[in-house]
Order: sequence, then C-alpha cells, then structure tokens
Amino acid sequence: MRNPWAETGNYKTSYRQDSTIFATYLEELSLVGLLALLVGLPFFLSRPQMFVVDLILIYALAVLGLNIITGYAGLINIGQAAFVGVGAYTAALLAPGLPFWLTIPLGGLAAAAAGAIVGIPSLRIKHLYLAIATLAFQVIFEWIVGHAPLLKQGGAIPMPRVVFLGYRVGYKNHYYFWYFVALALLVLLAFAFRNLLRTRFGRALVAVRDNDRAADAMGMHPGLTKIFAFALGAFYAGVAGGLYAYFSRAVVIEDYMLPVSIKFLAMAIVGGLGSLPGSFLGPAFLVLLDLNMEDFANWLKSLGLSYAGVDIASAMRPLTFGLVIVLFLVFEPRGLANWWRLVRNYFKNWPFRY
Amino acid sequence: MRRIATLLALLFGMALAQEVHLMWSGAITGPTSDAGKYYAQGIEDYCKYANQEGLTGGLRIVCETRDDQYNNANTQRNFEQALERGDPAFLGYSTGGTLQLKPLIQEVGMTFIPASYHIGNIDPPNSDYLFLPIASYSEQVIALLEYIAKQEPGAKVALAVHPSPFGRAPVPDAKKAAAQLGIQIVEVQEMTKGLDYTATLKRFANEGVEYIVYQNVAGPVATMVKDAKRLGLTIKHAGAHYAGGPDLLRLAGDAAEGFIWVTSYYMPDEDVPAAAFVRKLGKRFKRPADTLESVHYPSGMLAAAIAIEAIKRAHAAGKPVTGDPGRAAVYQQMLGLDFDPGLAVGPVTYSKEDHVGVDKLRVLQARGGRFVPITKPFQSKLFRKVHYGK
Repeated sequence: MRNPWAETGNYKTSYRQDSTIFATYLEELSLVGLLALLVGLPFFLSRPQMFVVDLILIYALAVLGLNIITGYAGLINIGQAAFVGVGAYTAALLAPGLPFWLTIPLGGLAAAAAGAIVGIPSLRIKHLYLAIATLAFQVIFEWIVGHAPLLKQGGAIPMPRVVFLGYRVGYKNHYYFWYFVALALLVLLAFAFRNLLRTRFGRALVAVRDNDRAADAMGMHPGLTKIFAFALGAFYAGVAGGLYAYFSRAVVIEDYMLPVSIKFLAMAIVGGLGSLPGSFLGPAFLVLLDLNMEDFANWLKSLGLSYAGVDIASAMRPLTFGLVIVLFLVFEPRGLANWWRLVRNYFKNWPFRY
Repeated sequence: MRRIATLLALLFGMALAQEVHLMWSGAITGPTSDAGKYYAQGIEDYCKYANQEGLTGGLRIVCETRDDQYNNANTQRNFEQALERGDPAFLGYSTGGTLQLKPLIQEVGMTFIPASYHIGNIDPPNSDYLFLPIASYSEQVIALLEYIAKQEPGAKVALAVHPSPFGRAPVPDAKKAAAQLGIQIVEVQEMTKGLDYTATLKRFANEGVEYIVYQNVAGPVATMVKDAKRLGLTIKHAGAHYAGGPDLLRLAGDAAEGFIWVTSYYMPDEDVPAAAFVRKLGKRFKRPADTLESVHYPSGMLAAAIAIEAIKRAHAAGKPVTGDPGRAAVYQQMLGLDFDPGLAVGPVTYSKEDHVGVDKLRVLQARGGRFVPITKPFQSKLFRKVHYGK
C-alpha cells in the first residue's frame, strides 16, 4: 500500500502522477519548513550578513535563467551578465517614475526582448560559435552602455529610495526589505522553472538540446525553441538585474561585465547544470567559499607568510575559485546538485540501505 | 628598572587606549591590484607608525585592509561591515565602487576617502561626505594642458582615455579648457589593453598630433609609448596620476623617456623630507624595494593620515569617535581640516565647499630612467572655471 509520507515504492500509474512535483507529503512539508526557515532568517542575521544572503538570492535568479539557456536548452551563454545589466539599466531608467514592483518585471521583459534578439544566431550556429555570439552581445552591451549619455556612460545611476505601502526603506532595513522581495521573486520563478519541464515548451528545450534534428522530426520547432530559451533565460536575468539595481542602490557598468558572466557560468557548473537545487547551491557555495577564503587569507597574512614579496595570502582567493571549478569539472561534473540528490536518496530509504 | 616601568606604563596605556577601527577596501588582487597592493601597504604602515609614535591622540587606530578584488559587491559588503562596527570613516578605492556607494554614504553620513580621484565622486548629488586626497583627474589633465599650452601654444593634442567613467570623466572639462588655452583637441581615443597601437598612432601622426594626453592606467600607456618609439614618431606623451610614474618606467623602459607626468606626490628617490619619510617607513616595516619605488605607497599613507588626523581631532574635541555620533564628529573635523602630513607637494585643506585635499600638483618628466620635477607645485588656473564656472 502506498504510504503518503514516504516513497516506499513506485506506485505511479499515469504520466500525470509521474510528473507530479511533490511525490509525498514529507516533501511538501520539507518545502514549507524550508520556506518558514527562510522567512525567519532575517530575525537572526545582522545587516552585513543579510547583504550576503541577498546577494546569493539575486545570483540564484540569474543562474536559474542561465540554467534554462545552458542547462536545459544546451546553448552556451557567455553573456548572462549583460542580460542582468539590461534589466538593471531598464529598472534604473524607469525607477524615477514607476514603483519597483513594475520596474523589476519590466526590466525582465526588456532583457527577454534582448534575449530573443541574441537568440537569433542560434538558428544557424551552435556550440563554440554560439558561445562567441553571446560573447559578442556582452561586448556590444558594454560598448553601448559606455557610450550612451543616457546611461551615464557606465557611471553610477542612483536608484531612488523605495516606499512600499507606507514603509520607507532606509539603510537600516534595506537588506531586510530586499531580502523578502528577492525571496518572493525567487520562489515564484523557481516554481515556474520547476513547472517548465512539465510543459511541452520545457520538454522541447530538452529535446532540442539532446538532438535538434530528432526534435524537428517529432514536430518541434528547434529555432523557435532556442529563441524561447534565450528569451526566458534572459527574463530571469533581467529580473535579477532589476533587483540588483535596487539592492546595490546604484547601477554601475562594472557589475554587469564579462567577469560576472564567467562567474555565473562557474556558479551554474558548480551547482549542477540544468538543476533547480544546483541554481541555489552554486551561488551559495561560491559566495560563501569566497568569504571563507577571505578569512583564511587574512589569517595567513597575519602569520606573515610571504616569500620574496609574493603575497601568498592574497593569491588564495582567486586560486581557490579557479581550482574549485576545475575540480568540479573533473570529479563532479553534475555539480553539488548531485550530492544533494545522493543525500536525499539516502534519507528516502533510511534506515534501509536499498 | 625605569625602563621596565616605562614599558609597563606603555603597555598599560595601550591596553586602556580606546580602539577605533578604520577599514580600507580595495584591489589587492584582480584588476588594478598593481596599484592597490602598494596603496594597502601604505595604509597599514602609516597606521602602525601613527600608533607607535603617538600621533593618534591617545587612541589606538586599528587599520584593516580588505581585498575586494575590484568587485563592487565586495566593496559594499566591506562598507556595511565597517558601518555595523561603528567605524567613523572609510577608505575606499575604485571609481565604480565609490560611485555605487554614494547614495549609502550620503544616507549614513560616513566620511569616505577614495583612491579614485574621479571628479564625479565629489560632484553632487550625494557627495557631502566624499573627500579626495589630491586634485581630481580632471584637474590633473587640465594642468597638463596648461603646461602644454605654455610650452607649445596652439599645440594639437589627442586624448587617450580608459573606456570607463574613470577615463572619460575629464574629457568634457579638458575640451572646454583646451578651447580657452588655444590648443586643439583633435581626437579623443578610448584605449584599453591593446596589443598594438600602430594604426592609432599613425592616424594621430597624420592628423598632426603633437601631444597625446593619457587618462588611463600605466599598462596600455606603456604599450602605446613603446609603439610610438618603434614607429619613430616624435609625438610627445603626457599623462595623469595613474598613467605614469614608476609603474610606467618599469613597463615601458627607455621608451618612456621624456614622458610628462602630473601628480601631487613626491618621487621616492627625491632628496626631500617627504620621500625620506616614506623610505624610512618602508624600511622600518621591511617592505621590499618595489613597494618603496611605488607612488601608490605614499598615496595610501596620505589617505590614512587624513582619516587618522580627523579622528584624532574629533577625539581631542571631546567628541565620541565611534558609531553614529563618531561619524558626525569626524565629518565635522574633515570640513575644517587644514594640516600638512608632509606626504605630498602641498597641505591638505578641506572645507564645506572644497572636498579636495592637496590642491597642488607638479609636472614631472622621465629623464634617465626616473621622473624629475620640471615645475614647482602649482594649482590649475582653469579647472575651477571650466568645471564649476567660477
């Protein structure tokens, strides 16, 4: 007999049951527990700690978008930071006249439009060539921002103070307020992401990734599917950009340049490409790793460990970042999401081994 | 016995002294770290020196240099930590990081001294609490144009700037100043890490350019200077603070000979008390030769000296020097600061209207593998007129 609290066997008898999000009540309860924990988190953290948590949530949104393009649709994208930037600059330009709950989604839509345009070359090219096309978009974005007086040529565009339902957001509650906004958006868009694969559009993405000619033969339109992937992934990035603009209080080009795109790719790889939990684990892991390495580097520095002017302590952070990516690529290409899967499977059967 | 008693009294005094934290966030690794690492060392060493020599008014200043890897998010996090801890002032670094923090700096009222001399840092809005240690890049470039106009009236000049707010900021003011000086800016070329500037230089030569004025970092400038030498061009090169100096000599070698440079700092090999002081500190804290040769080492010292002086004066005035009241007290002292720490070519003076510390600059020229001054310290005559209209 099926136990609704534990998955004691495979009792699924229809496709509908097979594609259900929650297999057991325990899974639903775990999610509710996690959300309750996340809602309660700000009551235990200081403002600088909230800064880090906010950053992870915003990066997770951008990495979710990257996972749609690169993880699901298999289209290499080296311009995700530029999509984030399109969202940020759109929000910055609209913010003086519109409330944040409009500017952020509008930023997402502007980025989606940019994504649809950038996706056009994917109709004809793929793999490395497509990667270069997205790189070109990143470069074009940086050039346009750098030369547009409207965008202060990459200088800072300050974001206005936000007042929401009479609640004025100042520096003391800034990161707490944006935490809840980011969390709400992340939950909403993560559910959308999770549901994507249950729709024909989501299945088309995977089919086109695995073999676009076979997908074509099955009646899917590979070209439109790829453009859809770019537009949707860029929408997520644009929403992340709008949020980042408010979060950082001013939009500056340096936050949306090529190294940031590389960082998003690293987060997606470390987290696990094409995985929902990986989109949270990757950003969290790399952001926290950097923080811990900073502390470790400072400790090394305090010991005075340097030889012939080579600052070993300072080299630790960039070295670790590179090393972690290489190690994951070699030893765990499925990323942290695979570790998460193994842990879940272990507890699913616990106390039995199989 | 007396020595032991003195030592004990000193240790007891140190234990009793109020601790005030002062944080710097900048690039010890990553882009521009070739300047940032020396800047950080300057802050660390001056801080230790000030504590050891009793220049802190009985306070113990704990200076902390954080590597933000030229990443604005890291800068923001560091600033938040300093704010949370109750630091009364903050030492910043990059143009982007400073511009992004301006709204928060204004909101919390924290004195902020960046290593970026970008004029936008102290231009409104949100600029009340920002203080440049020396004259801005815009003033530096205009000072160079004034020098060029004196040397060769009606000269044809090309501006070669970094493709960023850091590089572009002086361009509008430079154009206005050039028009008043009767010199011609024939082209503004944005340049980043190029491998070869032959085409750009040939174009400049065809346009009759006599001077290239750089607002850039030393790397690309060195490449262009070397290319110009290789092509046998007679164009003269001149640059603002971060475009030249010992970094350029190291990168460009003898191709940098004749390079004209403007800065407010003394050269480490000069026979002046400021340079001797910098050498003394470097040796005392066992810094390697490359630190002692870098102009960014005294730059960091100056930033630390300004902040420490303001904190010391606030404390001497009987005001608190930490937390919200500490920030307000230090800011009040900054507005009336007028002292000479002996690290630059002029005194540090601030007021409510003037947020530039050292107003004076010198023009130097690379001769025989070192920069030698070719003017006395002076203040740009045109900068205030073209930028503020007064």
